[in-house]
Amino acid sequence: MKLIERRVTPVDSPFAIACSMAVAVVAAMVVTSLLFVLYGANPLQAYGALFHEPFATWRGFGYTLVRTAPLALIALGTIVSWRSGFGYLGFEGCFVIGAAATSWLALSTAPGAAIGPLPFFAFLLMPLLLSFAAGALWAGVVALMRARFGGNEVLISLMTNYVAILIVQYLVSGPMRAPGGVPETAQLPRATWLPFILHGTRAHAGILLALLATLLVWVSLRKTPLGYELIVSGLNPSAARFGGIDVGGRLVLAAFLAGGLGALAGTVEVLGVQHRLMDGISGGVGFTGIIVALLAKLNPLAVIPAAVLYGGMTVGANAMQRRAGIPSSITFILQSLIVLMVLASDILRRYRVNLAALRPVVKTETR
Amino acid sequence: MNFHRLLTSAFFVTWLAASLRLSGPVLLAALGETFAECSGVLNVGIEGTILLGALASFLTAYVTGMVWMSLLAAMLTGVVFNLLLAWMYVTVRASQVVVGLVFNVLALGIAATVYRRALGESAGPQSVAMFPALHIPWLSGLPFLGPVLFGQTILFYLTLGLVLLAHVLLFRTRFGLALRAAGENPSAADAAGISVARMRYTGVLIGGATAGMAGAYLVLAQIGLFRESIVSGQGFIALGIVIFGRWSPWKAALAAIVFGACDALQLSLQLTGVNIPPQLLLSLPYIVTILAISGLFGGRAIQPAALMVPYAKD
Amino acid sequence: MPAFAMRKIVKRFPGIVANRDVDLTIEAGEIHALLGENGAGKSTLMQILYGFHSMDSGSILIDGEPVRITSTKDAIALGIGMVHQEFMLVRRFSVVENTVLGLKENAGPMLDLHQASRRLRRLSDQHHLAIDPHAQVQHLPIGVQQRVEILKLLYRDARLLILDEPTAVLTVHEKDQLFSVLRALRDQGRSIVIVTHKLQEVMELADRVTVMRDGRVVGAVSTRETSEQELARLMVGRDVNLRAHRVPIERGRAVLRIDGLHARDEVGQEKVRGISLDVHAGEIVGIAGVDGNGQSQLAEAIMHLLAANQGRVFLNDQEVTRLTVAQHRALGLSYIPADRRHVGSIPEMSIADNAILGSHRERTRGLFLDKRRIREHAERLIARFGVRAASTGAMAGKLSGGNLQKLILGREMMQDAAAIVVEQPTRGLDVGAVESVWLELLRERERGTAILLISAELEELMNLADRIAVMFEGRIVGILNAASVTVEKLGLMISGIALPNATPDQSA
Repeated sequence: MKLIERRVTPVDSPFAIACSMAVAVVAAMVVTSLLFVLYGANPLQAYGALFHEPFATWRGFGYTLVRTAPLALIALGTIVSWRSGFGYLGFEGCFVIGAAATSWLALSTAPGAAIGPLPFFAFLLMPLLLSFAAGALWAGVVALMRARFGGNEVLISLMTNYVAILIVQYLVSGPMRAPGGVPETAQLPRATWLPFILHGTRAHAGILLALLATLLVWVSLRKTPLGYELIVSGLNPSAARFGGIDVGGRLVLAAFLAGGLGALAGTVEVLGVQHRLMDGISGGVGFTGIIVALLAKLNPLAVIPAAVLYGGMTVGANAMQRRAGIPSSITFILQSLIVLMVLASDILRRYRVNLAALRPVVKTETR
Repeated sequence: MNFHRLLTSAFFVTWLAASLRLSGPVLLAALGETFAECSGVLNVGIEGTILLGALASFLTAYVTGMVWMSLLAAMLTGVVFNLLLAWMYVTVRASQVVVGLVFNVLALGIAATVYRRALGESAGPQSVAMFPALHIPWLSGLPFLGPVLFGQTILFYLTLGLVLLAHVLLFRTRFGLALRAAGENPSAADAAGISVARMRYTGVLIGGATAGMAGAYLVLAQIGLFRESIVSGQGFIALGIVIFGRWSPWKAALAAIVFGACDALQLSLQLTGVNIPPQLLLSLPYIVTILAISGLFGGRAIQPAALMVPYAKD
Repeated sequence: MPAFAMRKIVKRFPGIVANRDVDLTIEAGEIHALLGENGAGKSTLMQILYGFHSMDSGSILIDGEPVRITSTKDAIALGIGMVHQEFMLVRRFSVVENTVLGLKENAGPMLDLHQASRRLRRLSDQHHLAIDPHAQVQHLPIGVQQRVEILKLLYRDARLLILDEPTAVLTVHEKDQLFSVLRALRDQGRSIVIVTHKLQEVMELADRVTVMRDGRVVGAVSTRETSEQELARLMVGRDVNLRAHRVPIERGRAVLRIDGLHARDEVGQEKVRGISLDVHAGEIVGIAGVDGNGQSQLAEAIMHLLAANQGRVFLNDQEVTRLTVAQHRALGLSYIPADRRHVGSIPEMSIADNAILGSHRERTRGLFLDKRRIREHAERLIARFGVRAASTGAMAGKLSGGNLQKLILGREMMQDAAAIVVEQPTRGLDVGAVESVWLELLRERERGTAILLISAELEELMNLADRIAVMFEGRIVGILNAASVTVEKLGLMISGIALPNATPDQSA
């Protein structure tokens, strides 16, 4: 009997899956702590700093919630599109497009501007709708290319990110620039700012939007005929067609929803944190959000915990830099290693360990 | 203005020379990626590998000042990291797009962390030795062709040589035939006694070597320093160039020059003082790539038939 | 001593024993036929000989010496070559490129296609297998592609050539050409094995024949000493220990009418060549024939999953030829596909979710899916059809083949369809599952549904069908009433031989 033997079919009990995921996370943390050591820092201390501030302090937790909201929205967009069979990666683009649309609208409500001041709740619905529509169209173009011309949406959507970022760069250096030299817009009117919801922190109402969106996505996917059709189209287009589903139409719809969610992430960031549009407003959240979705295994219910975890890590990274002298960019390494290890750990389930092979073979001699 | 004057005008010459120069990194990356994709693997992680290659070449040049050593270090880095990627793609058989995407984030993290560690937090951008522009005697004195074609760095000429080598390797050797078979019909390759896994590993590793070189090109022959945004999507554009070049090295070279031209247009127009928003020009390469791969010019029908399809023998 | 011998070969796959103690001997200078129905184990046996699969136990001897074949490379080195049913050709490559793939002809790394094409041309002239070495395979007709596959083997100087269902894709003329080539090769002293289900060809071409059934060898004879009838009986067997009670009932009007249907598959080959058939209410019409004679394409064309290029389909006198799948369902025409795991169901979803595929839009309460009613529906389904599952929330992919099939049957039958097209319903199922499925089909028939049953299992058709039509190469060779059906007649018709008093193209 060999010690490590290849199975005929990989084991897939929930226990096995949980085990291999746990091994993966631990492995990622061990590898990252090697990097900590390279910096001359104590790994335990570093991890402590990384996780303490965002989760054990009130103010830090507020910041965690702030980081969570856009991550969750983008993760939800990823889930809706990928599970429908549309491999969209253009969330950086949707984010900034949504942020731009929102800023434009908000600036238009400044006193003396096109629309003029509005009471907050009257105003709130408008940027959500506009931003969602802008993101939906932005992603819809890519879906069109796939549906009509057979283009590869993975690469096309990656390219659209750069185009969108350049569009926004142009806007903040030109038409929308505030007087003065800096490439950013004027500050948005106070009346458009999202209210704070946790006393003593800067956590704003955006997290509520994220929670609401999570609920809506979960309910739609699980409990509506539309969600059923999206999921079936993504799992098995042949069976979907056989079941009478319009697979092409569902693809385009999935793109709309995903783009809209991505844009809402930008809205939340602009109205809740930055209060102005500027170059580099995304900070890579378009990709971190995808990673959060992957960690959540494309399950809407797991998005909030995963987003809180990764949002917290981003917050803690700054603390870690201050206290242990380790650059905050190490969190990118940890965040991506975890997912890579989880993916790689799948291979563990293909093998079986026969501990019996370790027992010494007792030889009996006969004369 | 007559034709001769146009051709030799500063604008035109600068533009074309820059087009060729700027096409280098993207072309290098695309060459190696062509091998990977012909074997059946789509490596989205190429963006990250270029970044890491750039970093390796920068650090080596910073420490040793020797450009050829730095180039070698970059290639080695590319190969090592792509070994990890190849393992995930071919042996673990994880989703190629997901692994590549996550790897890019990892690469960014590694690059940022190692760079700051090596140079200290507060240091500003440091410049390093570069490959000098060669001025080939007599030829570089020719009007128009001289500065455009014969005043480039040796790395550029090396790249052109690699285009030829890639073409020969891919289409005129047994190895190339076997590699392409693995990407077109892995079962047929298997039935002919070829190891599909070995072909795919090789394709991805070749991609790693050239992506590393591309990173070195950026640092040592183009910009002269390192920053985290040095790649800016050129890895993804290389993927587009592979498609636009129909998985053929010399066509990829043409596509790369088109890309370089778009990129260079922005630099050259600045010379003439034309009042176009720079972002419009900067976005041109990306938009052109999108159009090229939108499928308007032939979509999935022409790609290697088994691209992105993992092969598992029972 | 025989040139090639396989002794006591055993091969298991998850859930099935493909080869049980199989012995096979092949002489030099002989054309040997390996005969059997779908699932008899013939292809698996040859895959083992070619190194594509590994055997669980047994031995292979060449010229009396035992050999180890662990990969295709080994087999090729030993002089064994195989032409698979699905050609192992890289479509984008040229003929000569496909031929030299994997070969190490000369010392250097460079390809020498010129020399290779010269050698290829010589071989092609020598064996009367005309090809153009520089043509791209994807532009070649299938008959020519097969020639390329054979030339590949000859290029490697194969002693043993294995051809898996070689005439499945050929016209009659191409088939004759192939046969003369094979005879010439045999006369040169090479050994040839053809794996086939076509009796006529066995008698026409082969010197000896080994018959397999259910993974075992049931006979090995010389073709001179046997007849088609005897081979048919060996091939199909008399293991009819399953019986179903088919109550004679008065059939109603024609519910499903197929009129002169023609259809091509994805590569453009015409697979359905003018099928006309009526299925009445309360009747099961069976379509017999080995897989690959156009049955799947017929079913898909009826459902408009494949476009028919000629002919029409009527349901209750309404033309449905070009309506969408959803519209078909709404009008009462249901389909149970052969591929239960990849087309008929979604293995990653729960049983309840699979149970509503196709009818999901109706099971709502307001905007939402009515989960309670869906669960109840699923529970009723699994109770009525005897699906053994832990709960309706369990993943459908975990169900055994039999239970999954019952689930799919149940889903379609509970739609209250007027007509159902069923394809290979009991493939891969154990005896108990087969009986339940048969019971359900008969119950449906008694309820007045018109059923078109496509099956490669003669036993199934003989037990269930009121009339049996036999499809061969896209056409109906004949239709028999249940009373006049015998195994021998079916065996002959399946192999392409039309019988004098079976009337094709008539709803007798």
